[in-house]
Amino acid sequence: MPQFFSNKRLIVLLVSIIVLVAMIGFSMKDREELTWPEQFLNDVVGTSQSLLYKPAHSVAGFFENIADMKDMYSENETLKSKLAQYATVSQDVQKLKNENDSLKNKLEKPADLTDYKVRDARIIGRSPDRWNQSVSINLGSRDGITTEMAVVSPEGLIGRIDKVSMFHSTVKLMNDNGKNNNISAIVEGKERIFGTIEGYDQKKQALVFSKLPSKTALAKGQKVITSGLGEGFPRGVLIGTVDQVVEDESDDTQIAYVKPAAGFYNLDHVMVLDRRMQPVDVNQFKAVEEVAK
Amino acid sequence: MSKFILPLVTYLAFIIEGTVIQTVTPEHYGYSYILIPHFSFVFIVLMACYLPPRVSLIYALIFGLLTDLMYTDLIGIYMFSTALVAYLITVLSRYMFSNFLIAVVLSAGGVAGLEFLVYGLNTLVGVAHGSIQAFMYDRLIGTLILNMVFTILLYYPFMKLLRKTMNENG
Repeated sequence: MPQFFSNKRLIVLLVSIIVLVAMIGFSMKDREELTWPEQFLNDVVGTSQSLLYKPAHSVAGFFENIADMKDMYSENETLKSKLAQYATVSQDVQKLKNENDSLKNKLEKPADLTDYKVRDARIIGRSPDRWNQSVSINLGSRDGITTEMAVVSPEGLIGRIDKVSMFHSTVKLMNDNGKNNNISAIVEGKERIFGTIEGYDQKKQALVFSKLPSKTALAKGQKVITSGLGEGFPRGVLIGTVDQVVEDESDDTQIAYVKPAAGFYNLDHVMVLDRRMQPVDVNQFKAVEEVAK
Repeated sequence: MSKFILPLVTYLAFIIEGTVIQTVTPEHYGYSYILIPHFSFVFIVLMACYLPPRVSLIYALIFGLLTDLMYTDLIGIYMFSTALVAYLITVLSRYMFSNFLIAVVLSAGGVAGLEFLVYGLNTLVGVAHGSIQAFMYDRLIGTLILNMVFTILLYYPFMKLLRKTMNENG
């Protein structure tokens, strides 16, 4: 039996465990900003990642396209039939938009919860370690990105900005296990139900929407959107649809499992939503809603 | 010149883990298996087998820290785990003949050790939940196979590079 640790080595091991605990403690508290060495390293690695990710993604995409080709005919047929409806729908949307704008002007409410600017970003890398679900994008503090901004793919919400350095930033995806991954959300229906999405269930592959009052009727297929209260998220971004509703036995509430609308893999182009306004005072907002009713 | 090639190759392997491999993971095709590439770590294990212990320890600390900073929220977990496993590999390799088979076995053992350490530490701080069975079936086995294949494919080219650096350093 070889001796792995002499006395001196044992002391080194103990000291490094202490250092480990200290470093975890340092990084566990909520930090608004990264220190400059971290930012610098993020930028260096990010630059090399962006050189490699795009060609690799296009090669992988090319083979996927070939695989998709056999479905093309049927897809084309459905798209054609959808296109016929598109013209009427877009006209309706325009009409509603105009109406909405004029009503807003009457209310003298220049900015509201749904207002945001869109910034296009490109994925340049992904955390290979699946305990942490995050991707890096090619926009940083130089482009006006700050933490807590919402990040969406064309299908729906995918996550939030977590770390920002000068030229790159890291997006924490919604299926991350981390503790502070809460999203304030609304279940759309006859009546709106406010609540908080608290994390992701890996086994069910669904977001956990807990603490819903048990008397409210929830049905499978109802849409869940962001509420825009607090945080950096605008209102009305699609999160997913209700998949399953379970009674919480411990207290008198329900848990809804929400199937995310967007996929967390196969990402390429994403958008960062920048809210133009400061976070709103919730009470004031609720008062405005009461008046609107 | 070849002084810079070794760090560069390891860095390239580190970048490939987060980019090229991530465009073709099993999740893209709807499988629930998780394959974690530990390519830079495999190189560090090979260094631990053949170079002086100090070298692999320094590489392990640097690339562990880089993984922590780039991909995780908590700094220190990968740094500690990679360094510890790299050290254990250097001690182990002192008692064994260094050949192809032993290197493959050691790298597989190293990857398994690293995965277990990271899983354990992440469970301790509450980042990882889930049973050890799920961890072993969905994650560990596939990861071991992926990294063993990588070791087998790149053992001879990487050895050539190591020999070159060894000769140049005297």
